[in-house]
This record gives sequence, structure tokens and C-alpha cells, in this order.
Amino acid sequence: MPLLKTGPRRVLAGMIVTITTGLLAAPPAQADLPDEQYHDVIVHLLSNVMPPQLDALHTATSSLADDMPAFCKKPDQSGLDKMREGFHTAMDRWQEVQPWRMGPMMAEGRDQLIEYWPDKHGTAARQFRLLLRNKPPLYTNPEKIGEASAALQGFPALEEVLFNPKLADEILAASKDGAYLCQYGVAISANLEKLTGELVAEWPAFADAMMNAGPKSMDYPTSKFAATDLYRALHEGMLIIISQKLARPLGEGPDDANAKRAESWRSERSLRNISHNLKSLFAIYDGELNGAGESGKGMVALIGADSLLDKSFRLNWQQIRDASNALPDSMVAVLAKPDGYEKIQDLENQVAYGVMLVENDIGGHTELGGGFNALDGD
Amino acid sequence: MPLTETDFNFGRRDVLRLIGLGGAITFLPAGFARAAADVTAPEDRAVYISASAGNHDDFYVSAFNATGKILYEQPLPGRGHDIGLRPNHVDVAAVERRPGLYALILNRHTGEVRATLKSPEDRRFYGHSIYSNDGRYLYITENDFENARGVVSVWDAQNGYKRVAEFDSYGMGPHELHLLPDGESIAIANGGLKTHPDFDGRTPLNIDTMAPNLTVIDRKTGEKLYQTRLKDDWHKLSIRHIDVARDGTIATGFQYHGGLNDEVPLVGVWKPGKTDLHALEAPDNVQYRMRQYCGSVRFDASGSVFAISCPRGGVITFWDAHNHTFLTNIAAPDGCGLAATDRKGEFVGTSGLGDGWRMDALNRKREELPDDSLKSLKWDNHLRRIAI
Repeated sequence: MPLLKTGPRRVLAGMIVTITTGLLAAPPAQADLPDEQYHDVIVHLLSNVMPPQLDALHTATSSLADDMPAFCKKPDQSGLDKMREGFHTAMDRWQEVQPWRMGPMMAEGRDQLIEYWPDKHGTAARQFRLLLRNKPPLYTNPEKIGEASAALQGFPALEEVLFNPKLADEILAASKDGAYLCQYGVAISANLEKLTGELVAEWPAFADAMMNAGPKSMDYPTSKFAATDLYRALHEGMLIIISQKLARPLGEGPDDANAKRAESWRSERSLRNISHNLKSLFAIYDGELNGAGESGKGMVALIGADSLLDKSFRLNWQQIRDASNALPDSMVAVLAKPDGYEKIQDLENQVAYGVMLVENDIGGHTELGGGFNALDGD
Repeated sequence: MPLTETDFNFGRRDVLRLIGLGGAITFLPAGFARAAADVTAPEDRAVYISASAGNHDDFYVSAFNATGKILYEQPLPGRGHDIGLRPNHVDVAAVERRPGLYALILNRHTGEVRATLKSPEDRRFYGHSIYSNDGRYLYITENDFENARGVVSVWDAQNGYKRVAEFDSYGMGPHELHLLPDGESIAIANGGLKTHPDFDGRTPLNIDTMAPNLTVIDRKTGEKLYQTRLKDDWHKLSIRHIDVARDGTIATGFQYHGGLNDEVPLVGVWKPGKTDLHALEAPDNVQYRMRQYCGSVRFDASGSVFAISCPRGGVITFWDAHNHTFLTNIAAPDGCGLAATDRKGEFVGTSGLGDGWRMDALNRKREELPDDSLKSLKWDNHLRRIAI
């Protein structure tokens, strides 16, 4: 039934943008769930599911930081391939952490330091040109690079160093520019190790504050309120996939499309990022990610694991995953094909349909979708 | 059984209205009221008033006392928004939220309707109103939708609320307005959004070109005295809500119509004729919680602190009005309505989930108002305090 599957989804995609303006009416109120139920979901997601993901991200960036100096001492193609592989591993882990926009992720602008994107004004490219021209020592100093511009100290900067063919050639040729760039890569890797280490270190205190929600807390007066952070991560994570990761490169239409507006276009993994985002977002619902946690103990516990609603949501989510899995990693490659635009648009429509499900099936039934003023203020 | 429940609700509300009559201290015998005044603090006698809603598309203006006990509920034909207070008078103005067709003038003690104002056919009310200090004129922000122009209408309260004048607001989508301390000029938050009743009157039609501003006009002539705006990069920050301190400082809260994770300020301060509009940001871990949306702005009684509610993030933020710095934040699920008590740094806040809190910004404390009757309603965006 292709019409039934994609027709309404396509229509809905256009409507999704209006969600951020809060024009949708509140879903019908449901019976109150006991606060303990929200508490259990928070405990599971924050103390069982998330810490191993942060550890894995930190391990991956540590490995990058360990390997970069050796590569720079004697740069060759196999070393470069290894560093690129290390970048992909770290980026996979980051894309599974990225949607959890809460606590230490947001403190000190850390999410932007780890990955400054989208870069609407081309700040990174402009600063990168200046960097190459002036070669300031700050950027090759692992201790100091954290004081530099956010656009030049995280994953996109490392991506430019490792995947821009011109720069990679300079590195392999061990030219003056190449040597500077490689040392810059060393500093970025060390900085990513430090930033992700801070995430690991600060997460438990944040999790404790969420788990100790109560009338005395000025941050989380109830577990239900604390759980809205998790619901929002799921909801906004999907909106960000639509509005930034897909709609930006798609532009106004096929003639306006430009894969270079996509995240991680240089390393040709824009769609792979989305696939890892979706995996992580589903874990908020389901309760299991990369073997950590347990299926049925995420947000689904609030609407009833194995309930009709749960079964329907899982089937619909599988369609989104199928649309994502059917695509290769690179948006550059997909958009270069005649039917590429349509395929990316189809994924956008699938995710948009997912947003509607999240709002109605999860937001409505868990009562985490927002209240009277939040949904329809003025 | 929805019918039975609705019937019950109406009955209960009638009872509440009667309680309200007896509950307001001004209706007690003069001697008793004086005696009561001797032993109660002014805050204990304060009355809070706000638009509200039930669960069945039923809308009210409701008042409650300092403990959160509801005093009356006056049904409205549609959803209200803010309440304008007529100084030294029983009148309060409940203007329908945008695109509003009516405004009701109510008796602040009982909710009784004293006059009904209708928006002209080619205008729509925008939810906010203020009175002149002498109580003579009521000013309402409106949309002249055929010309995509904001206006402020003037109604003569002494002459049956006759519409007597209309001024340009010098921007699109005027929302909250406020008298400046001189009593002769009015600050208007022009949100910058173009809307039209043909498109439901609320959907923004000009996000790419919106150009919000803050404007001060002469209340008698409508002449533009001052205007300020944010830098062009921030033109999608709709300037919607303001409050004015006794020293003339205007605090303002924005609503962003761009990306969810764009880094934009959401709060501003401006002293017309003295400074430019200055944007303020909270620390990152609070700023993101504000969810790109401010709902209500209120100075405390001392003018040294102002509060800005962020209902989408469920947080009230507090700011130092003198140093223009972030002070603290207190979680308030779906909290939006804010009123200053007579104590420094203290506010009463309400939520769309039926909560009412007393919040102390200086000691970072939040207490639920003790009376449960407050919980029977969803409290709408704005709250006003009446000192009795």
C-alpha cells in the first residue's frame, strides 16, 4: 500500500516545521501516572543505558588522541587510513550520544565544542583559511586549543584535516603546512578526549540530580518533570534530523540541493550519522543501546511494553530505520544520482511521520509532551 | 459521562463565585476589615487575577488569594490572555488573545461583567491592555490585518468605553504594552509577526522577513518617541513581552522563530533614550532549557530583579536588573504567569498544569501555594496582582 504509507507522510512533512512554533493543540489528557514510573525510566536510561555510551565515546577519542602523534611522526597512507577509520569510530559513537541534549552535554556549550555544526555563516571555513595562512601556535598546543574558537576545535575541524584531499596530501608530503596541520590534528584529538572525558565525569552528578527529583529540588520538582528532558531529547532529536540534517542539504528543491550543507559531508558520512542518531533515539523509547540497558525499560514502560500502541510504534519506527538503512553513508553520493533527491526526501518524510507518532503516541500517553502554556502560548 | 461532568463543573463554579463575594475582604463590614488589616500583612490580602481554562474548551477570568484559594471564576466567550488593571477602580480589562474579537471589563472583586468591547471589523485584539494612570483611558494592542500594521487603540473608560483614537504601533504584531514611569508614554513590544484572520490569525506569514522592535509612543498624540531593535542576525527573535521598572528600565523576553539549537539570546533590557537594547544570555545549561521561548516578564517590587518565565522549558529565570546579569533559575513545569509580591525578589507564578508557587529569587526557594482549589484550572500566560 505505497499510497497509504507515503502519501500522508509526505503531506505531514511540510507541517512538521510548524511544530517548533507550538501551534499544535495539546493532546488529550491521560490518567495521571505515578511519579515512580517516571523515576524508574530515568534511572534506567541515565544510569544503565547512557554511561556505557559515554565511555565508548571517550575510549574512541582517547584512541584517536593516542594514535595521532605517532601518525604525525611518520605520515603515510596506511597511517592516514587508520586515522580516518579512528575518526569514523569516534564519530559513530558521538552520533549516538549527540541526541541526548541534556545536563553535561549542554553545560559550557560542550555539544558545540565537540561538534560545531550547522555552521550557517561559514565561520569554520573562514577561520580555517586564516589558520593555514598564519599558523598560530595556539592551535597545535593540546593544552591551549580549548581556548580557541569552537569552530576550530572539534570533530568538523579534525574531519577537514583528515579528509580534505588537498590537506591530506600536504600531511603525507610532510610539507611545512602538512606538519602544522598534523600537529593541529593532534591537538584537536587531545581536546576531544578531554571534552568527552568531562562528559563521562560529570554525567553521574547530573543523573543523580534527575533521579533525586522532588519538591525540594529547584531543578527537578518531580520525576515526571525530569523525564521531560528525555522526551524532549527524543522529540527534538528527530526535529533536528529533519530541519538541519536533511532539509538544509535538500534546500528549496532539486536545483537548490547541495550535499555540502549536510553534516560530515567531507568524510562522506552524512547519512551514516542519521542512522546512528536514529539508533540512539530509539533507545530512549526502548531502553537498550549497544547491549546496555534492557528492551522495554525505556519510555515504552510508561505506555506499556507489548501493548498495541508499543507494537504499532515499533512497526512504524522500523519503516524509518528501513528507509535509513536502504541509503549509503554518503549524501554526496546519493544526491549525485538522478533519483537521489527523492530518496533523501523520502527519508525526511519518514522521520516527519515519526515525529507525529512521537507527539501523539508517546507525548500524549506519557504526558510528557508539554502543558497548556508550553504547547499553545502567545 | 461528559455531560454529568460538565454540569457538575458549572455548579461548582457558581458556588465558587458566591464564595468569592464573601471572601473578598472589601465586602466585609468596615470595622472588621480594618481589624483584619491590622493583623494581616499586605501580601495576605493580595488578590491574584489571570485568564484560565478548564478541560472542555471552557475559559475564564479567575482570581485567587495569597494561599491559592480561588475567589471567583468568570466565564469568557473565548480564551483570554492578560488582564489590564484600572488604577483606583474596580474595573479590569480582559482582552481576548489574538486574534481577539472581544474585551470584557470586569469587576475585580466579583468578576461581574461591566462592559463589553468589540474589535472593529478590520482589526483584531492582541490580548494585552493597559490603563492610563488616571484610569481614564484603556489602551489595547491590535492588528490592522489588511495593512499588516500594528495599532494601539484608545478607549475612554469614563464615557462607556467609547473607542476614541487609534495610534500606529510602528511595527507588525504589537503584543504587550506598558506605561513608562512618566505616565505619559507607552512602550510597545512589536513582535514583528504578520498574521491574517484568513490564515487563522495566528500562523506567522513572514518569518523570513520579520522585523520586531520596541517602540515608545506618546500616549496622547501617538507620536513615536524612541525605537530600538536587535541586530539583523537576530530578526527572528520576536519581541513579545515587556515589563517596566520604576527607573524606566524595560525588561523584555523573546520568542525565537528559527532553529531549535541556534544560539540566540532570549532576554533583553533597554532604557529608552539612554541605552540600546542589550541582549542577555543565561549560562549554557540554563539557556538551552529556555527552549527558545519566553512567556512572561515581571519586575519584582524593588525593581532590582526581574523574572522571565519559559513555559516550554518549564523554568523561571531570574535576572539582576542593575547589573544585567543572570541570577538564578527555578524549575516550574509549564509555568508562565508571573506577578511580583510586595517583597524584594519574590514572585507568585502559575502554570497550565494548575500549580501556583511562591518563588524567592534571592534565596532560590519555591513553595506551592497551599490551597488546592487552584489546581482545578489551567492558568493562562499572564498573572496580575491586586493589592487590597
